[in-house]
Amino acid sequence: MRKLLAAILAIMMLLSMTSFAMAEEPLTVTVFRGDPGDQPTEDNKIYKMIEEEFGVKFEIEFLAGDLDETLGTKFAGEDYPDLFDAGNSAEKAIAAGALIDLLPYITEEGTPNLYNHIKDLLPQLVNENGELFIIPNYGINYNAQIQNACNGPAFFLQKQVLEWAGYPQIKTLNEYFDVIEKFLAANPTNENGAAYEGFAILCEDWRHFCLINPVQHLMGRPNDGEVIINVNSGNWETETFIDKPYAKDYYAKLNEMFKKGLINPDTFVMTYDQYIAKLSAGTVLGMFDQTWDFGTATQALETAKMYKNTYIALPLVYDESYGHGVIEEHYLNGAVPNKDRGFGISVNCEYPEKMIQLFEGLLSDKWQKILQWGIEGEDYYVENGRMLMTKEQYNNRSDATWKMANTAITIWESAPKKQGTQDDGNAWAHSDQGENYFALMSDYDKAFLTAYGYKKPADFFNAPIELAPYGEAWQIDKSPIQDDYDKYLLIQDQWLPKVIMSADQAELDANWDAFVAEITPYAEVYTEFMQAEVLKLVEQATK
Amino acid sequence: MTVLNRKKRKPQDRDIVFPIVNGLILCVLMFVTLFPVINTVAISFNDGIDAVRGGIGLWPRVFSVEAYKSLLSDKLTYNAFGISVARTVITTVLNLFFTSMLAFALSRKEYIFRKFITLAVVLTMYVNAGLIPNFLLIHRTLKLSKTFWVYIIPTMFSCFNMIVIRTYIIGLPEALAESARIDGANDLRIFWQIIFPLCTPVLATVALFVAVGSWNQWFDTQLYCGSKKYLHTLQYLLKMKLATSMNTTNMANTSVDALANAGATKSTPVTVRCAITVVSALPILLVYPFLQRYFVTGMVLGGVKG
Amino acid sequence: MMNGAVQKSVIPPPSTKKSIWKKLWDQKYLMLMSIPVLLYVMLFNYYPLWGWRYAFQNLDLTTIKKGADWIGLGNFQWLFNEKLFWLGFRNTLAMSLINLVFGTTASILLAILLNEVRSRAFKRTVQTVTYLPHFLSMVIVVGMAQNMFITDGPINRMLMSIGLIDSPVWWLGEGKYFWWLVGIINVWKEVGWNSIIYISTMTSIDPTLYEAAAIDGAGRFQRILNVTLPGIKATFVVLLIMNIGHLMEAGFEIQYLLGNKQVYDFSQTLDVFVLEFGIQNNKYGRAIAAGMFKSVVGIILLFGANFVAKKMDEETLL
Repeated sequence: MRKLLAAILAIMMLLSMTSFAMAEEPLTVTVFRGDPGDQPTEDNKIYKMIEEEFGVKFEIEFLAGDLDETLGTKFAGEDYPDLFDAGNSAEKAIAAGALIDLLPYITEEGTPNLYNHIKDLLPQLVNENGELFIIPNYGINYNAQIQNACNGPAFFLQKQVLEWAGYPQIKTLNEYFDVIEKFLAANPTNENGAAYEGFAILCEDWRHFCLINPVQHLMGRPNDGEVIINVNSGNWETETFIDKPYAKDYYAKLNEMFKKGLINPDTFVMTYDQYIAKLSAGTVLGMFDQTWDFGTATQALETAKMYKNTYIALPLVYDESYGHGVIEEHYLNGAVPNKDRGFGISVNCEYPEKMIQLFEGLLSDKWQKILQWGIEGEDYYVENGRMLMTKEQYNNRSDATWKMANTAITIWESAPKKQGTQDDGNAWAHSDQGENYFALMSDYDKAFLTAYGYKKPADFFNAPIELAPYGEAWQIDKSPIQDDYDKYLLIQDQWLPKVIMSADQAELDANWDAFVAEITPYAEVYTEFMQAEVLKLVEQATK
Repeated sequence: MTVLNRKKRKPQDRDIVFPIVNGLILCVLMFVTLFPVINTVAISFNDGIDAVRGGIGLWPRVFSVEAYKSLLSDKLTYNAFGISVARTVITTVLNLFFTSMLAFALSRKEYIFRKFITLAVVLTMYVNAGLIPNFLLIHRTLKLSKTFWVYIIPTMFSCFNMIVIRTYIIGLPEALAESARIDGANDLRIFWQIIFPLCTPVLATVALFVAVGSWNQWFDTQLYCGSKKYLHTLQYLLKMKLATSMNTTNMANTSVDALANAGATKSTPVTVRCAITVVSALPILLVYPFLQRYFVTGMVLGGVKG
Repeated sequence: MMNGAVQKSVIPPPSTKKSIWKKLWDQKYLMLMSIPVLLYVMLFNYYPLWGWRYAFQNLDLTTIKKGADWIGLGNFQWLFNEKLFWLGFRNTLAMSLINLVFGTTASILLAILLNEVRSRAFKRTVQTVTYLPHFLSMVIVVGMAQNMFITDGPINRMLMSIGLIDSPVWWLGEGKYFWWLVGIINVWKEVGWNSIIYISTMTSIDPTLYEAAAIDGAGRFQRILNVTLPGIKATFVVLLIMNIGHLMEAGFEIQYLLGNKQVYDFSQTLDVFVLEFGIQNNKYGRAIAAGMFKSVVGIILLFGANFVAKKMDEETLL
C-alpha cells in the first residue's frame, strides 16, 4: 500500500515536471474539437514540421460525451481554448460570444491565401453585421469540382437486382419498386436461405432523414432539408413538403409496399447498429439514405467479396402518372461551403494574429499537399506529373493508428482547406484523384458500370446544378424556433410509420389527415421562419 | 406426537429437495447472465468487419485481436491506466475514511447533532444544483481544473454509503462498544479499535461501490482535464476510442473522407465496444475476489455460520 | 459486565442534569468526526445551490455572458404547461416504480438463495457470475435485448412454439410493453450487483440465532422467515426509503437506447425531456428549473416514506 502511494506520488510529480518543461520554447496553442478523436503521437512527423516552421505546438481537447452539455459548461465558465471548433453546434459558440471576428485580420496583402480563399463567397459567409467568425472547413473548391460518385442522398439498390433484370435504367419511384418486387418474387431468399427484405427505412434519432427527406428529391430538388424552395420564380417561395399531398403519394406508395410485405415493421424501431448489420448481411435490397451513412456496411460487403450485394445510388423522381408533370432530377448540388463549421479563434486567445498567420501558412499549396497527401516519396509518388499512391500508401491514410503518427488530421479537418483540382490538374484530395479512385474499384463494379456504358457511379446522375444563393437550406440554424422545430420533427417521426403501416386505404387517409392536422401549426411556424431566413440569405448573397 | 414428528422430519425432507432446487435456480441464473458476458468477450476477439454482420455466439467466428490492438497500441493508454489506478485507490481510501467516520458518529443515539447532520447530509442526495453551478465551483472557485486533485477532492464522501455503514453499525451488538466505554475508551478509540474492524464486510462492500464508481468515471475528465493528455483516465480514453470509431463511419458532408475510409479500418464500433468493456472491467474483476472474501462468507460474526 | 451495568446506572444521574456545554464537551470526538464531512457537503453540495437562482432567470446562450434577466416563475410555467413534461413525469414514475419493486424483490431473493448455499466455492461462483452484467455497458445490453425481442427473434419464436401467441408480437414498437422491457433489462443487469449489499448484511446476523431456530425445530423456510429476513430488515427499510426519494431518477440511457419514436409516449423520461428541451436547446434556466422540481418531489417522497416508516415503528433514515 505504502509502495503504491509512493509510486503514485512519483508519477504525479513526474507529470507536473513534464508539463512545466513543455511550457518553455514553442508556443502552445490550446485546441478544442467538438468531435471525438485520437491524440497524435509525440513524434508525429507532420506536427514536428509545423512546429519547426510556425513555432507552435498543440494541446488538443476532444469530445467524448454530449456536445451541448460540454459546451454549456465552457460557455458558463468562459473556459475557451485558443482555437475553438464547436463541431455541429459551432453557431452556439458564436451566439455565446466565444469567438472573435476574423475579417479585420484578413487582408489581400497580409494574408493572400485566406483572402483569395473566401473572397468570392464572402457575402454568403458573413452574418448580418458583416462579421465572419469561422472560415468553412470544407466545401471551397478550386478549379473543377470532382464528383466520382454520389456521396449524398439517393435511393440505393443492390447491384445484383439490376444485374438480374438485365441492367435496366431505373429513373422513377415506380420503376424502382417494380424491379424490387419482381426480383423478390423470383428470389425470396439468398443462397444461404436468408429472406430478402425489399426496402428498409432507418428512423433512428437524427438519422430519420431516411424517412422524411425523400419527397423533395422525388420532386426534383437537391437536399434542402425539410423544405422545398422555388428557385425559378425569383421570390424564393419556401414551403414544408411533408404535409403536402405530393408527399402523401410517397408514403402511400410505401404503404402499398408494406402491405405486399416488402417492408418489415421492425424497420421503424431498429437501431443504427441493426440497420448496418442487416445491410452488411446483404439481405436488404434497397433503401433511401446517404452514402456516407452506411460506409461500414459497404466496407463489410466488400471485405466479404459480396460485391453484388453492394449498392448503387439512383436518382429517382415521380413519374408522370403522379400528376406533377415531367420532373428532372437534381440530386447532385454544387459544392456547398460548410458555413460556420471549423476553427474559430476564441476571445481568450492572446495571439490571434499568430493563429491567422498559421492558417494562412497551412493554406499555401506546399502545406496543403503535405496535409492532404503527405510527404512526396514517403506517402505518395509523382509520375508524369500525376500524384499517385500505392495501395499500401492509400490504405495507410485511413488507418487510425498510422494517422496518429503520420498526419495532422485534427488540425487539417477543422482548418480552411483547398478542395477540387490543383492548377496542374491533380486533385487536392488524394481520394478524389481518378487513378486512386479507380484502382480501388472491384472487377464486379467495373463490369457493372461497363454494362451501363458508364465510367463512374456518378454517371447515373445529372451533373451538379449551380448552388442556389442561399446554399442548402438544411444548414440554416433553427435554434430561434428550436422548441417548435423539435415538435415538428417528433410528429413526423411518430406519424409517418403509422401511415406506412395502415391496413387499408381508409385507415391511410385517416392517419394522413390526423398527421396533417397535428403538424400544421408547427409547419406554419417553421415555414415562416425558413422563408424569412432564405430571403435574408439570398439578399446577402446578391449584395 | 404426530405434530412433533412432522416437525422433526420436515426439515430433513426439505434439506434434500431445497439445495437441489436452489442449485438449479442459481445455475439457470448463471447461464442467463453468463451468456451475454461470454458473447461480449467473443465479439471482442472477432474480426471487426465480420462482426458487423451479427450472429456471433460464444466463440469468435473470425478470430482477430485488432480491436485490442487499436486500444493497446496507444502509449497514452498505459499512462491513463496509471492515473485511473491512482485515482481509484486514493479516492477509495479517503472516501472510506471520511464516510465511515461520520457513519459511526451518526450511529450514536445520544449524539446531540445526530438528527441535524443526518438531515443535512441525506438531503444532498436529492438536491442537485445541476451541471453548470457544480462546474463553476470546481473550475472557477476552487481552481481544480487541469489538476489530478479534481479526481479526488469532489469524491471524498458518499452519503449513500454512509447510510449503509451506519445501518450496519446500528445492527451490531451494543454491548461491545458499551464495555469499551466503561473501560474508559473515548469515541475515537471505540470507533477505530472496535467498530471499524467489526465492519469489515460492509466496508468491503462500500469499498467496492466507491472503487467501481471512481474507476468508471469519465465525465470529470472530459470537463476538467480534457486538454491534459497525461491526466486522462482509462475510462475517458476508452470512451473516446469508441466515440472515434463510431464517428469515422458517419462523417457528414466531408465528401473527401467518407470514401477514403473504405478499405483499411479493421476494427469497427461493434468490436471496439466489446473490447473496451473487457479492458475496463478486467482490473475490477481481478480485484474483486479479494473484497468478495469479506462480504460473501463474512469473517467476524458470520464466520461459523453454515 | 454486570459491574459495568451497575456503574453505568450510577454515573448518569448527575450527568442528566449536566449542562449542555458539558454534554457537548463529552461528545467532542463525535463532533470532531462529523465536522469534516459537514464542511465538505456545505461546500460541494449546498454552496452550488446558489445556482438554483437560474431557475428564475432566462439563462440561455445569448444571456450567459452578460447575465440573464429575472423572469419569476416563467420557466416553471413553461414546464407545467408542456404536455411532454407531464408525460415524462408519468413515465419516470412508472419505470422507477417497476424498477424499485422488481429490482428490490429480485435482489433480496437472490441474496437469500445464496445465503442458503453451503458450498463456499459455489456461492462465490454464482455471486461473481451474477454481478458481471453490471459491467456491461447499456449499449451492449440493450443491443442484445433488441435482438431477442425483434418480431422474428427468439422470444417470439419461443412463445409461438409453446402456443402462447399466434402471431409475432411487436415488442419494440408498441408502447404498452416498453416499461416492462426496461424493467426486465434493469433487473437482469443489476440483480447481482444490488444483492451484494444484502449479502453483506446477512453476514452480520448472529449465527447462534440460526442454531437456536434449528433447535426449536424451525424448517428452512421458517428460518429464512424468522431469522434472515428480520436480519436484513433495517437495511431493506433504509434502502427503500432512500430509493423512494429517488423515484424521480429513472435514468435516461436505457430509454434513449431502447426507445424509438413509435414508443416515445412511454419511453420519454424527465431526464430525456430536460436533455432535449433544456440542454440541447441551451435553455439552461429551464433545465435547472426542471432539476429543482425533481429535487422538491424527491424530498417530499423521502419525507413521506420516512414518516410512514416511523409510524410503522421501523428503522428510519432520518
